[in-house]
Amino acid sequence: MSTPPLIVLEGITKHYRMGSEIVEALRGVDLTIRRGEYVAIMGPSGSGKSTLMNIIGCLDTPTSGRYMLEGTDVSSLGDAALAAIRNRKIGFVFQTFNLLPRATALKNVELPLIYAGAPPQERRQRAIAALESVGLGDRLRHKPPELSGGQRQRVAIARALVTGPSIILADEPTGNLDSKTGMEIMALFHRIWQEGNTIVLVTHEEDIARHAHRIIRIRDGRVESDMPNPTPIVGAPLLV
Amino acid sequence: MRAGEYFLSAFDTFRAQPIRTVLTLVSIAIGIVAIVAAGGAATALEQALTTEITASGAYSLVIQKQPSIITSGEQWRRYMRRRPISYGQASEYKRRIEGSGALVSLFSAAPSQTVRAGTEHTDPDVTLVGSDEAFFPMRNYQLAAGRPLVGEDIFYARMVAVIGNDVRQDLFPADTDPVGKEIQVQNQRFTIVGVLARKGGIFGQSQDNMVIIPIPVFVRAYAEEWNYSVSIFVRARNQAHLEHVFDESIGILRSIRNVRPGEENDFEIEELASIANQLGTFLRFVGLFGAFCGGIALVAAGVGIMNIMLISVRERTREIGVRKAVGATVRSILVQFLVEAIVLCQIGALGGIVLGMLFALLLSHLAGIELTIPIGWVVASIGLCTLVGVGFGAYPALKAARLNPIEALRYE
Ligand SMILES: Nc1ncnc2c1ncn2[C@@H]1O[C@H](COP(=O)(O)OP(=O)(O)OP(=O)(O)O)[C@@H](O)[C@H]1O
Ligand SMILES: [Mg+2]
Repeated sequence: MSTPPLIVLEGITKHYRMGSEIVEALRGVDLTIRRGEYVAIMGPSGSGKSTLMNIIGCLDTPTSGRYMLEGTDVSSLGDAALAAIRNRKIGFVFQTFNLLPRATALKNVELPLIYAGAPPQERRQRAIAALESVGLGDRLRHKPPELSGGQRQRVAIARALVTGPSIILADEPTGNLDSKTGMEIMALFHRIWQEGNTIVLVTHEEDIARHAHRIIRIRDGRVESDMPNPTPIVGAPLLV
Repeated sequence: MRAGEYFLSAFDTFRAQPIRTVLTLVSIAIGIVAIVAAGGAATALEQALTTEITASGAYSLVIQKQPSIITSGEQWRRYMRRRPISYGQASEYKRRIEGSGALVSLFSAAPSQTVRAGTEHTDPDVTLVGSDEAFFPMRNYQLAAGRPLVGEDIFYARMVAVIGNDVRQDLFPADTDPVGKEIQVQNQRFTIVGVLARKGGIFGQSQDNMVIIPIPVFVRAYAEEWNYSVSIFVRARNQAHLEHVFDESIGILRSIRNVRPGEENDFEIEELASIANQLGTFLRFVGLFGAFCGGIALVAAGVGIMNIMLISVRERTREIGVRKAVGATVRSILVQFLVEAIVLCQIGALGGIVLGMLFALLLSHLAGIELTIPIGWVVASIGLCTLVGVGFGAYPALKAARLNPIEALRYE
């Protein structure tokens, strides 16, 4: 008995209409990602990396092509079904963190569980556990403006992890961090991967990409190369 | 998402924007204050009126030259042309109708009198009433001291008077007993035999500021100075009796006043209950008008809410993007913003209801009547506010719900 691959993209295109012009952000992407992989997506600015991530994360739908997530075709699902997938199967980490600025770290991490309909008690416990696992057990009541950039990104990672998703999608997660903090975050991703999570990471930086076990290069909306990285770096140990 | 979460989330938002929230609440509350105060005052007045009239006026008729409620100058001129009902005619009517078992009281009044006692005098605003012994029980007038007018006072046309509480206060020190003292109205001297109990309130004021003398004295002493007309107060035993008395009264009065067959009555005969109804209708109209003004204020508040929510949606674009990214559906965002609008409106409504009730309490206290909580108006206010919340919150909420998550997340 073989389980289907986590993600199968077949001929995915995405077109944006800009006035009379049509921007072809993706021009036919075929991609398979298996459970437990650690993938980096690289490419020049405007090549379509974010567009691809948004489609994988069900924030956006492709113009054409087929997207199978854990064996189900999600290309044609409606809003509620896509929202449920984002809630349960996807964990997003953004370059700009995207935390709710007025909510505490705990509240931010609880947010996906609120939409999952988890009871308050359980929600709190799981959010606290997630924050502890990223080394922020002592920052539960802090609000984002009271946290450093690295700490904010760790809150965001805790939020991505808290529902136990099938895949973590990180679009330039170190883009707004200095290189030392960036390395700490990469160490955290490494540990998360070791714990059995699947990670897809978009980055500009070779140093960051080399943490992954597979590097996909994108150019002009197409996969230019897709190669394993036989010598991944293990990030600096997490300083908690 | 669980229902309770929407409310918690709404309160989080309010806490984050206290000034904006309070201003919105105030604008809603103002509309509701107007509605509840107007409604409450109208309801209270109406009830006071009804109790007043039913206390003394069950199965009662009033016969006068003109109707109790005149709504136009044209009507007034028409009724003023009618011959007054003379004391003689009224007495004749009383003699004839009493055979049917009805209670009858005759009265006539002269407003704006000055009452003197020794060196003291009242303002020229006392109503001088000429009436009979039946006047007191039929109106439910209680005495604080002395006695009411009795049959002999009327029969012998005695120069006696019963005075109201305000008149007594104006003329006599608090510790003296006015019974037995003399008062003077327009060169006529009367001996006080009784003092009415204080009534207070809008319907009672006339009673407090009044002097009652025997009607034959009134007619003899003052008839020439006023174009007086006697009014007749009739009480029947029950509804059937009332209808009988009503019909009989018309016949008797037509014959006494020589109204030819085919001609219209030259007097008005009205059931007290129907007068109360008309006044009640008028008061309800006043209340509705107040409510209408409040409604307009509410619409203005609603537009304000919409405006504030549109700003809020713009400011919270990123938040909406984040919520969508972690699993919010279009529907849950829609509900979240609608709940915010509705909760805001309802809190405003509650505040407005409390303030409005205080206003109504104040008004009814000034008017000396008892306030009853206008449940209907309260429920209507809350319902209306919910409608305002839904109506004016819908567009901003829809706008929020339909935001593209990717653009929302990128929004600066
Ligand atoms: N909403 C949109 N409307 C129109 N064009 C868009 C839209 N989103 C993306 N594009 C275009 O699609 C192309 C791919 O954009 P995308 O954001 O995926 O690039 P990227 O690889 O993530 O770039 P970067 O490294 O700068 O983040 C670009 O040319 C961009 O201008
Ligand atoms: Mg990008």
